[in-house]
This record gives sequence, structure tokens and C-alpha cells, in this order.
Amino acid sequence: MENNTQTVEELIPQVKVGIIKQLNIEITPEALDENTALFGEGLGLDSIDALELIVMIDRDYGIKIGDPKEARKVFQSVRIMAEYIQENRKK
Amino acid sequence: MSRRIFITGYGIITSIGNNADENYQSLINRKCGFGGLEILDTIHKQDLPACEIKLSDDQLCEIAGVSLKQGYTRTTLLGIIAAKEAMRMASLTPAEIRTAGLLSATTTGGIRELERHYYPLQDPFQHGDFEVFTDTANPGEHSERMAEEFGMKRYIATVSTACSSSANTIMLGARLIRNGELETAICGGTEALSKFTINGFNSLMILDKEHCRPFDISRKGLNLGEGGAYLVLQSEDMVQRSGKTPLAELTGYGNTNDAFHQTASSPDGAGAFLAMNMALNTASLVASEISYINTHGTATENNDLSEGLAIQKLFGDRVPPFSSTKPYTGHTLAAAGSIEAVFSILAIRHAVIFPNINFNIPMDELSITPEKELIEGRPLKNVLSNSFGFGGNVSSLLFSAV
Amino acid sequence: MNNTNYYINGLGIVSPQRTFDNNRFLQEIVSYHANVLSAIAPDFKEYINPIQLRRLSRMLRIGLTAAIICIRDSGIAKPDGIITGTGYGFLNDTAKFVSEMLAQEEQHVTPTFFMQGTYNALSGLVALTLKCNGYNNTYVNKGFSFETSLHDAMMQLNEGNLKNFLVGAYDEADEVQYKVNSRINHYKKHHINSLELFEHNTDGSLQGETAAFFSISKEKGQECWCIVKGVRMVFRPYSLAELEQELDDFLLKNKTATGDIDLLINGVSGDPHNDHFLIELKQKFFQQASEVRFKHLCGEFCTASSFGLWLGASILKKQQIPSAVQFNLVSSPRPIKNALLVNQYMGRNYSFILLNKNV
Repeated sequence: MENNTQTVEELIPQVKVGIIKQLNIEITPEALDENTALFGEGLGLDSIDALELIVMIDRDYGIKIGDPKEARKVFQSVRIMAEYIQENRKK
Repeated sequence: MSRRIFITGYGIITSIGNNADENYQSLINRKCGFGGLEILDTIHKQDLPACEIKLSDDQLCEIAGVSLKQGYTRTTLLGIIAAKEAMRMASLTPAEIRTAGLLSATTTGGIRELERHYYPLQDPFQHGDFEVFTDTANPGEHSERMAEEFGMKRYIATVSTACSSSANTIMLGARLIRNGELETAICGGTEALSKFTINGFNSLMILDKEHCRPFDISRKGLNLGEGGAYLVLQSEDMVQRSGKTPLAELTGYGNTNDAFHQTASSPDGAGAFLAMNMALNTASLVASEISYINTHGTATENNDLSEGLAIQKLFGDRVPPFSSTKPYTGHTLAAAGSIEAVFSILAIRHAVIFPNINFNIPMDELSITPEKELIEGRPLKNVLSNSFGFGGNVSSLLFSAV
Repeated sequence: MNNTNYYINGLGIVSPQRTFDNNRFLQEIVSYHANVLSAIAPDFKEYINPIQLRRLSRMLRIGLTAAIICIRDSGIAKPDGIITGTGYGFLNDTAKFVSEMLAQEEQHVTPTFFMQGTYNALSGLVALTLKCNGYNNTYVNKGFSFETSLHDAMMQLNEGNLKNFLVGAYDEADEVQYKVNSRINHYKKHHINSLELFEHNTDGSLQGETAAFFSISKEKGQECWCIVKGVRMVFRPYSLAELEQELDDFLLKNKTATGDIDLLINGVSGDPHNDHFLIELKQKFFQQASEVRFKHLCGEFCTASSFGLWLGASILKKQQIPSAVQFNLVSSPRPIKNALLVNQYMGRNYSFILLNKNV
């Protein structure tokens, strides 16, 4: 439960590593800017990546997102994701 | 090349009936197969209901008339049951069966048995009853097994284009007959439910935990189902020679690729439009001559919008009555095309249009609505049946009254 | 549809030999020593853009690369139809999905391997990449998968509405298949040098893989490799006599006599249990023909006949038989005009493909 006290700044590098691993992206965590858009222009992720990330935040943080459309709002950038995780995490 | 293709028999097993009559009765009485899973062993028995055939594999063996524990996968058993009914209905002689082609479709084949015996099958030191399922995960296995069961060897093919698969076997059958390669083709598809498909579709977040609602604004996804259906296609010569009365005619077909996304349909239904249009063209019919469309109508947000827009584009302000029968049978994947081909022929033969169960409120994006109620006493001349799949595969079949 | 010429106007193949460069022809041979032959792929980045590359599995990469090599070779950027054939498809991805699903007890299952595991994933991907809205189909019938794909294309060309098809085959050397099929002695029990496949008189073959695409049309292209005259599949012949009868009928329909065959491309698998019909056919009817074999170079898999077709097309075009495939050379070699590919898979699926030199 001590993880729940992690700050957004502490979560950011962890989320970066998680995304890169889950989506098999060939970049270093440092090269992924926390404010870059993950979908569309930016990193260019698509709807299947969104599904992969939904599984990731459920598995790693206990957050369930039932609607892929809602997920796209959460997955706007690494920072927004980290903020959402910090607020909603169950583990 | 312009040889006519007739349907002289069909057979079907789904969660709403073990044969064509039972399926028809369920269709006109709004009896759906949706509910909790009892036969398949999965942790999702209650939270992801589906349209399951409530018969064990042993019971299916009995209906299929084959010995127990001989390595018939559930997919194969459903195929044997449906194809036998089709051949009986067509009164095929042993000689006709021997020289017929068997063109069958599946997306999962024996995956259900593979997932059940996954570790023992890969361990050479383990022995036991599971060994009858060695190499049955191969998708072509069920067709070969069925062909052997029926004593057929002339032409055996298996199609796997996701959810449009069995529609493509019917097209191949027509092509083989038109090219003079065959006089008789048994065409269709078969699919058993499996943990693989349930978890796969669940991971894509397109399963509705509630009963699916095609073309409704509140639709949230599809329900899976299982089943098998086969048609007997015969050449005009063969039908004339044998003096049979054909049940319907396959007048048109179209196969295209949407080329938009690996799993999603294009928002405007470009591929669907092309396939339906091609079916009309091969039949030399115009849009206004279509009496009914049995849509793919899976009740995913994406499919119904894409298909609906394609229908509107093709038919303009004269869209014929249409409905999705997926709430009855669930989405039976590779078998859906042939199951709905049988439903289309049943509609023609009984002059009925089956209701689109669970439709209440139209979608904002569409100006058309499906038939909510059963329509009886409506002679149907030409019926379109759509089947779309992952990988952009899109097929449309056109059946006509004879 | 008899006596029609179907031209192979382009091809691309990624196999356990360095076959991805159409300008080279088996100049160096790779041997394998663990009964599994793996495809040698070029740098994918030369064929597939990096964004697309990311989520493609190994076999999708190999398959798409073979398709693009073929497209570049034929110069036809958008075929009228795409047909693929495969025996086991992407069983490797399917197995990853099943393993994950079983290990995690159906929780937190991710979609990528499920999506990539569908048999039509490659034909869909090629269509998507080429923006090809035309006919699209995938056949999955063990040792007939590629033959059915080819036959479907030929019938449609014959109907005349569509002018050119991209016909492909792919199968992956997958571990689950290896383990499961080892139960039925499909693979040799002891490791051998793949190049000595035909010297071991033991049960089983070697596991191989390949992705091959062919551009086929009724019109001859500039880079035409050869002509396909016909294809015939024979399911489980009860006897050699039945197979002979099918061969006679097939050749007769194509107005060819056994004596006209200059090159026999023999799809024996190195498993004496399954090879004897093909060996007897050779001895009985094709003494005058040069015999080449190929499964020591690509291994055995459901669509291995696609490697055989590539070999035949290459020999007919280049009029040269590489020593690595020569099995016996006839005493008085003659120009290679007519080639017959005979194949068997598991002693159940037999096929004949008749090829002519482009004239």
C-alpha cells in the first residue's frame, strides 16, 4: 500500500517504462516526453494500443476502465495518465 | 460461365435449434439462445453470457451418429450434424456425395480442445484420453474429418477470413460449379465456443454482458455464439437431371476488403458498400429489387454504424426491410455467414422477415431502422445476406426465390 | 479453363535460404542441425514503415515483406485480388495468447496476440498496406492451402473480371506445433544435418517455414517467370493406382504426356513412410526428367509447395538447376520447358502443379 503515496512526478518514469514495455515501442523512457500526445500526431498510438494500456493500468494499479472512449481521455499523455493513476489507483 | 447455382438442401444447428425446423420456430417465436454458459468451462460463465448450444460433446456425438472419444472436436461435431441434415434434405445419392466438394469454414477449429489439453499435448511423456486431440487445433482438420465421415474426397477446402468465412465457402462453391469443376458443393461453416474467443473478444472490449442490441443507440457490443450451417449448392444441369425442386437460387455474391484497419470497419462502410454492390452486379439486379437484407449487425458500435451507412449509400431513400438475427444465435464467427444464409432462405421459403430483437431507439447517425416485429405473408424475391470480418474481409451473398 | 496460360509475373519469398533477393538463386546454401529451419529475413525496415512494424509479429513481418518483394518484382502496385493460404497460420501468436490466458486464469488478457493470430491477418494486412479493396480470401486446409489459393485465383482470372492476383502462402516453424506433432512422428526423433534429409531412412521430416507471394495474371508481364498450366489436389489416395489415375487425368486435361516433363520438382519430405508414392511416380513415369527436391532447403510445412513453385519458376526462368537441389540429372539434358511439381503433406494431401517455360 505504500505505493499509493507515490507522487505524480515519481509515477511518470514508471508509467513511461510501463507503456514502452506493454506496447513494444523501440524508444528509451527518456526519449518519451511526458507531455507528448500518445495518440494521433505525437506517438501515433491507435485503438488497440488503448486496449493494451487499459489492461496495463488494471493489472498494475487496479484501475478498471470499462469504456475505451473514456480511456482515450485518460491516455492523452504520460503526465495525464500519471495524474489519473495517482488519483484513482487501488494498488 | 453463366451457369445457375441452386440450393437443394440446408442444415443448421445453433443455440436456437438442432435443425432447420427448430431454428425456424425459434425465429418466428422470438426465442433467443442467450444466457449463462453451462457446457464450456470458463471463469466467465456468468459475467459473459453467450448463445451456447446446451448439449455436451457426447450428446453431440450421438446426434452426429459418430462414436464417442474418437477425437471429434466440438467444431467438427457441429459441422457433421448440420452438413448431414443438408445432404438429407437435398436427397443426395451416395454417388452425388462422393463426387461433391466439401468447402467448410472455421476461425478456431479445434482451439477449444487445444486450450483444454494445452500442457499435456505438448508433453511427450504424458499419455491419456487427450491424445485423440493431437493435431486437431489445425483449422483444416475439421473439414478433412467431415469429408472422411461422409466419404468425400473430390475437393476439400477450408476458408478462414474471420467472421465472413462461411460466406466465402458459398462463393467458392459457386465458382467451382461455374467453372465446371464440381456439380455439387457442400458449403458452410462451423464454430464452437471456446475460452480463446471469449477472452479474445473480451480483450477487444466488444462483448456486451447484456443481450446484444443491433442498430440500437444503446448497443454496447456483441454476444458470442456457436453453431454450424451448410448449404448444398448444385449446378443447373444436376438439378434438371435429378428432377429436384430447388429451394432457392444463389444469384449474386461479392467479396471485397475494406482496407481500413486490422479489426475495425471503415466509418463509411466502403468495403461493405462495394461487396453489396458487387453481389447486385453479379446477379444483374438493381437495388430496388432487393426485398430484405439479413445484416451482419453484430451490435458493436463500429459494425452497425459502418454497415448502416453502407446500406443507406447503396439503397438511398429506398432501403428495403432489414434486420440482424444476431440476438437469436449470437455471433457465431466463421459459421455466421452460412447460418444467416440458411435464415435468408428460410425467409424466402416462408415469406417472412425475422425481427431485429432488442431494437428500440434508432442511432443518431442513421436515418433507417430495422424491422422490430415479425412480418409474415411477405413474398421475398431477393435477399441479401452480409458477413463482415476482422482483417477487412467483407462478403455479401444474394439469394433469390425460384 | 484448360490450355489457358496463367503467367507468374512476379514473386517474393522469404525462406530458410537467402531467397529474398530475386537476383540471386541458391548461390550459398544454409544448413540446419536441430530439425527446425528458420526463415532468413532481410532488414524489414527496407520494406515496412517503422510505425507499422511495431506491432507486427515476426511472421506478419516476414509475410508482408514477401508480399512487397513480389509487388516490386511484378510492378503491379495494386492487385485486383489477394489470396493467401496457410496450414497453421499464426499459431505462435495464438499460443502466446492461450498461454497468457491459461496462466492468468482468464484475467488481464491483452488483445494484440489474439488479433494477430487470425488466419486472415496477413491477407488483411497486405490489403491494408496496398489499399487494395479487391477480392480477399484465406484458405487454411493443411497441405492444400496454397493449392486452393492458386486454384481460386486461376478460376477468377478465367472468369475474366479480374486481371491479376497476389497469391501467397505462409507457415511458421512453431514450437507448439513441433511438440504436438512430434507425438505422431511428424518430425525426426534425432537431430540431423538438414542437407542430408534424404539420406536418413527414418520416420519424420524437418520443421520448416516460408512466406511466398506470386503475382499471377492471364497477361504476360515483362518480368514473367513461368506459366502455370494447372493445379490438381488429391485427398488421401487409397493406392498408388488412384494417384496415377489422377495424374493421368490431370496431364491429359492439360494436353501433356508424362514424357513431355523435363523437370520433376519432387516434394518428398524425407519421411519414407509418406514419400513412397511420389518416389514410385518418379521411377515409373519420369525417368527422362531431371529431378529436383527442396524440402532439405525449406523444411516441411503445409504450404511447402509454394517453395517448390518458386524453385520451378526460377529454374524455368533462369534455365539453370542449382546443384543443391539436383537429385538426379538425366544423361542428355535438354532445354527445360515443362515442369511438374508433385507434393505430399503427411501422406494425406497430394498435389500436382504443371508449369511451362515462358515463351
